[in-house]
Amino acid sequence: MSRSPRAFRPTPDSPRLASVRAADRTELWTRTNGSDPSVYGERWAYARGEAYRAFEPARSKLSAGLVKGWEGPIPSEGEHWLYLGAASGTTASHVADLVGPTGRVAAVERSLRPFARLLALALRWPGLDPILGDAREPRGYATFVPPVEGIYADIAQPDQVEIVLANAALYLRGPGAALVVALKTASMGRDASAGQHVRRAEEELGVAFDLDPSVRLDPFHKGHYLVGGRSTDALFRGEVSTAPTRRRARSPGRS
Amino acid sequence: MVPAVVLADGPRLLVVEAGGPLPPVTCSLGATPPEAARRYALLADGDFPGPLVQAVRALPRESKVVAADPRWVEGLARAAGRPVRTATVAELRAARSRLDRTAGPEDRAFLLAVARRMLETALASPEEVLVALAREEDRLERALGREARAADHFLAVPGTLLETYAPAWEAARRDLERHHAQLLGLLEESARRVAPNLASLVGERVAGRLVAAAGSLPALARMNSSRLQLLGSRRRPSPVRGPRYGVLFRAVRMNDLPVARRGAYARSLAALAVVAARADATTHADVALRLIARRDRRIEELRRRDR
Repeated sequence: MSRSPRAFRPTPDSPRLASVRAADRTELWTRTNGSDPSVYGERWAYARGEAYRAFEPARSKLSAGLVKGWEGPIPSEGEHWLYLGAASGTTASHVADLVGPTGRVAAVERSLRPFARLLALALRWPGLDPILGDAREPRGYATFVPPVEGIYADIAQPDQVEIVLANAALYLRGPGAALVVALKTASMGRDASAGQHVRRAEEELGVAFDLDPSVRLDPFHKGHYLVGGRSTDALFRGEVSTAPTRRRARSPGRS
Repeated sequence: MVPAVVLADGPRLLVVEAGGPLPPVTCSLGATPPEAARRYALLADGDFPGPLVQAVRALPRESKVVAADPRWVEGLARAAGRPVRTATVAELRAARSRLDRTAGPEDRAFLLAVARRMLETALASPEEVLVALAREEDRLERALGREARAADHFLAVPGTLLETYAPAWEAARRDLERHHAQLLGLLEESARRVAPNLASLVGERVAGRLVAAAGSLPALARMNSSRLQLLGSRRRPSPVRGPRYGVLFRAVRMNDLPVARRGAYARSLAALAVVAARADATTHADVALRLIARRDRRIEELRRRDR
């Protein structure tokens, strides 16, 4: 499908993210340098000799955040990002698009079957580096991840904030580096409401980061929020406790 | 004092000393990416390349040695004959900042080789093989069902090209059935090996499907019986209609019972299946015969029931 080149308007701070006016809404597209076929059935379009892929808010939390007004940092051209919880690569492929051919994405995933698809994807997406690893043990992939400009985390775990902090302390390049976390409040415990979880996460992250306003991802992803901002000196002065808590061992019969 | 840090940067092992030389002592893990990936995996087993061990031994006695990856600590300490501990975040950051990190193409080739190797090692376990076979069998069964239904209302109009098409299609379908039978054979063998108790109790096919639906045998063992009964059902249980049809509904002796009794049987069978799965996942005891006896007793009981 081809669209008029004028239709793709790059966003100001991220030239590889384009917005397109269609019918009653504005769509987001990313400029890609991966190759066909599509990763998860997303639409492709070609304009000005470049390939673009539709960035659907219903499929990707990052896109949903942008549609709902996320003002914080996003991956941009030439940056090196660490993606925790990359799964099959749906959003990771877009992050790779956004950092472009001069950037890279280190995609960490610990489940085998999604990782198999991520690995297959990485073979045709040059900027995507697949890593089979547990985000709870950030040292396990230090061999493959240099200091990064930003971290994107989408791990549905009760102690996700602690995990993210541990990774940030080790891998973020320095003050001013970016952090974007997709918070799944349903995974954080039934004892508190979604709002309470978000506030607690903001408190814990606020020690080391200048946070941007959190964005609620409803109706695209119920109970999810996008939280994040830029790192301050505090993260690198060792003031932040960075040991992720061990999940309590599950006993048989727990449903 | 600032310790010496042993870390890896791509397919190279390095020893970075605070006051030490730049570039730091480097030891290549292998000439080709697969070789480097193989040697990288061995580090966790304590098998370190000779030159690196020499370099660590050669460090001054007062220096502390730290390793980037906690899995290397024990093996390295043993090989080098000196105490080694895990590097702190600060130590690791400091060491990495002194490196000249221009990642070349061999870094990506190494990363992909390590990823492939780790994936293959993990997928080679019998449990993963069972899950893969069960999923494959599920897909194949669905495909066969679709083909059979399509064949049912296909009209091979005589005197047209369709007439020549029909037998070719039928032959293809028979081939597919044979392939399915072969796959079932493999699945049965795999299930008997991985979960013998469960396979004897509900049948190998269902056992495979249950493990696949749970993701792994330990995951299945952690479930309670109501959850196991629901595995594989697409619909939510309702107070009116009861729990819907999960994988368990296709268990081995379900057909011996009238439809009205099958729910009760499924419930009892789920309880027995949980015991079987737990035995298979942990103790590996042989409880199959006892569970089968209970199962059969329950079937008789249900058959005798009047209402």
